[in-house]
Amino acid sequence: MMKRLLTLLAALLVFAVPASKAVAQSGPLRIEITEGVIEPLPFANPAFVAENAAATELARNLSRVVSEDLIGTGLFREIPSSAFISQITSFNSPVQFSDWRAINAQALISGAVSVGSDGSVFVKFRLYDVFAGQELGDGLQFNGTQAGWRRMAHKVADAVYSRITGEGGYFDSRVVYVAESGPKDDRRKRLAIMDYDGANVQFLTDSNAIVLAPRFSPTGDRILYTSYESGFPRIYVMDVASVGRRALPTLEGDMSFAPRFAPDGNTVVYSLTTGGNTDIYRMDINSGNATRLTSTPSIETAPSFSPDGSRIVFESDRSGTQQLYIMSAQGGEPQRISFGQGRYGTPVWSPRGDLIAFTKQSKGRFHIGVMRTDGAEERLLTASFLDEGPTWAPNGRVIMFTRESQGETGTASLYSVDISGRNLKRIPTEGGASDPAWSPLQR
Amino acid sequence: MVRIGYYISGAGHIALILWVLFGGAFSSTRDPIEITEVSVISGAEFDALMQGVQSPDAATDVAMPVPPAEDEVAPAPESQPDAPPPPPAEPQVTQTPPPDAAPQAAEALPPVPAEVTDEAPEMAPPPEETAVLAPDVSDRPVPRPAERVAPEAVAAPEPDTQVADTVTEEVVPDEAAETPQEQAESGAPEEATTQIVTEAMQTPSAAPTSSIRPQQRPARPTPAPTPAPTPEAVAETPPEQPSQQAAQEPTPPAPSTADAVNDALRQALTADQTPSAAPSGQSGPPMTSGERDALRVAVQQCWNVGSLSSDALRTTVVVAVSMSEDGHPQGETLRMLSYEGGSAESARQAFESARRAIIRCGANGFNLPRDKYAQWRDIEMTFNPENMRIK
Repeated sequence: MMKRLLTLLAALLVFAVPASKAVAQSGPLRIEITEGVIEPLPFANPAFVAENAAATELARNLSRVVSEDLIGTGLFREIPSSAFISQITSFNSPVQFSDWRAINAQALISGAVSVGSDGSVFVKFRLYDVFAGQELGDGLQFNGTQAGWRRMAHKVADAVYSRITGEGGYFDSRVVYVAESGPKDDRRKRLAIMDYDGANVQFLTDSNAIVLAPRFSPTGDRILYTSYESGFPRIYVMDVASVGRRALPTLEGDMSFAPRFAPDGNTVVYSLTTGGNTDIYRMDINSGNATRLTSTPSIETAPSFSPDGSRIVFESDRSGTQQLYIMSAQGGEPQRISFGQGRYGTPVWSPRGDLIAFTKQSKGRFHIGVMRTDGAEERLLTASFLDEGPTWAPNGRVIMFTRESQGETGTASLYSVDISGRNLKRIPTEGGASDPAWSPLQR
Repeated sequence: MVRIGYYISGAGHIALILWVLFGGAFSSTRDPIEITEVSVISGAEFDALMQGVQSPDAATDVAMPVPPAEDEVAPAPESQPDAPPPPPAEPQVTQTPPPDAAPQAAEALPPVPAEVTDEAPEMAPPPEETAVLAPDVSDRPVPRPAERVAPEAVAAPEPDTQVADTVTEEVVPDEAAETPQEQAESGAPEEATTQIVTEAMQTPSAAPTSSIRPQQRPARPTPAPTPAPTPEAVAETPPEQPSQQAAQEPTPPAPSTADAVNDALRQALTADQTPSAAPSGQSGPPMTSGERDALRVAVQQCWNVGSLSSDALRTTVVVAVSMSEDGHPQGETLRMLSYEGGSAESARQAFESARRAIIRCGANGFNLPRDKYAQWRDIEMTFNPENMRIK
């Protein structure tokens, strides 16, 4: 009897456990991938097909700029043409995906350029996901003038970047900055504007007066900047197309500086020093009516609006050291968001609204960093003798800033870095350059 | 008094049960069997022993190996021509982008008239040569940080080494070898780091950042010796995974008792620890955790999230794929089953990244046990990028 009981118990154990297991494991094999790699995505960009003789040079230049744009992000790696197995000789010919897979090209750009009888340029392209063997999005065509060929190349690169990464592009954008020349003790400064990659430089002012901190309007058609033209720092607004300018109304003897547009484009927030005290004001740019937003004996400056225009981040030394604060766009009690060691300054709200870029001075070094809008997850991206003045790319993924080298012969240059801290690189400019401000994407 | 009887009866029963369980009531002891080792020899061997010398007989009953039957069906070609692509879509005609807004240049500065004199300019004395002291501490040239971030750090391979998933040694044909070896180039995984190292994390160099001398171009510093990837290094890379997993797999204990209950318990527990039991309706042995991990590692080596947007990096997608029997994913069956944590657009980006990973790393077929094909014919892979976000 006892033996039977024990045998029955053993049989129950043997059959009960696998039965429950089989139920849990039914269906397809399931695995979870939680680790991957971060590396540049290899792409192939065969030279764009020139559909007529007049387009030969343009086709070569266009495909070169498209490649440079993509490579410059650090997210893409171009496969050299010497590795190509097949070529694209016609825009409409079928793509031999196996040839591109064999060289591990994960994306393929096929483009063509033609020049019309009136001199207008037509650029069309397609983007392929090589391993999926299908097109990524629809083909696109741009047309413009021969003088604007670089913009067309940037637009193609923006479309490629956007389709692969899911982020907005930033190649068809411009940067206004302060061009510097001369020795440190007699530096000449004037406003200049260029493509984001340093091409097409144009000067907006002469070097008779020191200019500082230019800032684009949300539509990119106007620029705010500070000039010492009158002997005191004063804010001017310039129309980019006509280069016409006018000063914002301030009282005689007051110093106004650090201006920045609100997202509506009609309001300006800035610092005003009067009676030895510096506070933040906002002004309706059309009526000239100003409102005081802070009222403390400390120095409040470098205000920057959130993308929705509801809040302002700024720097203040009210705690004894320079720190970052956020307040309502209408003023009120600010909330401190920086608590790390060192001094924080020049905060700029990301166009996506999720991060705030800043300059940090700590242990004798300067850093460009980013943090969440509540001050959390602070990350320092750079470190050097002097880094300052960050500005965001239109897509909120790249930051440009000023880096000044040490010593009497030190010069200021523009650098950019990805918000991950990768892809730190210098922006080529003729002579010194500082105080960059990135425009929105051009229309 | 009655209770005393109960107590005696209970104690007696308990003693009886204990004796039954542990006293070996059901185990019968057998008398030891005397064993004597004997050897049997044939008559021929006996004769040979007796005669002393005898040549060995040639074995005649060895079956001839059956030649492998040729496949009636020709093997499928490894590469198949691509299906003709659909006719290209007509490109959308977009509006002409406005021409470059050409801001008028600021007022040009009047040219400065050149001063011309007849007197020869005085030559400025050449600058005195100044000695530049070498820095007390000069860090070695810091190599450029690796662009690739992977779960495991990989040292930079030698320059001529091809990028491969695993470390392979170069094979040079050796004419003296008995069996010809196929020539192959050396391969090693691409250099990788485990985290993004920003400039702010790097140790500052004490070397001067600028110097007026030397005027001549300094000699190129010799690169730091990079350890050549050796077969031992393979053990640190993903191929080690299966062996590790194999080591972690539970091994059934050796049968130490003949007890029926212990046997049953052991079998039940072993079955419980088996990583994957046969799914209902599927045949074949179950996939082990090592085999599943090998597949997971193979896919994650190709899952590149570097070009994904921030939103896509917050999106978990579940991708289904059907496999052919030789371990190749069937591209037309790849589809996104569901997503979580992001928008439809970010899910599309995440799915495309996952699809590229499956197709790329499955191009040569995943290393899956063929006898368990029923287990992995259909696979659902969950791509969770939580660990890959910027931190």
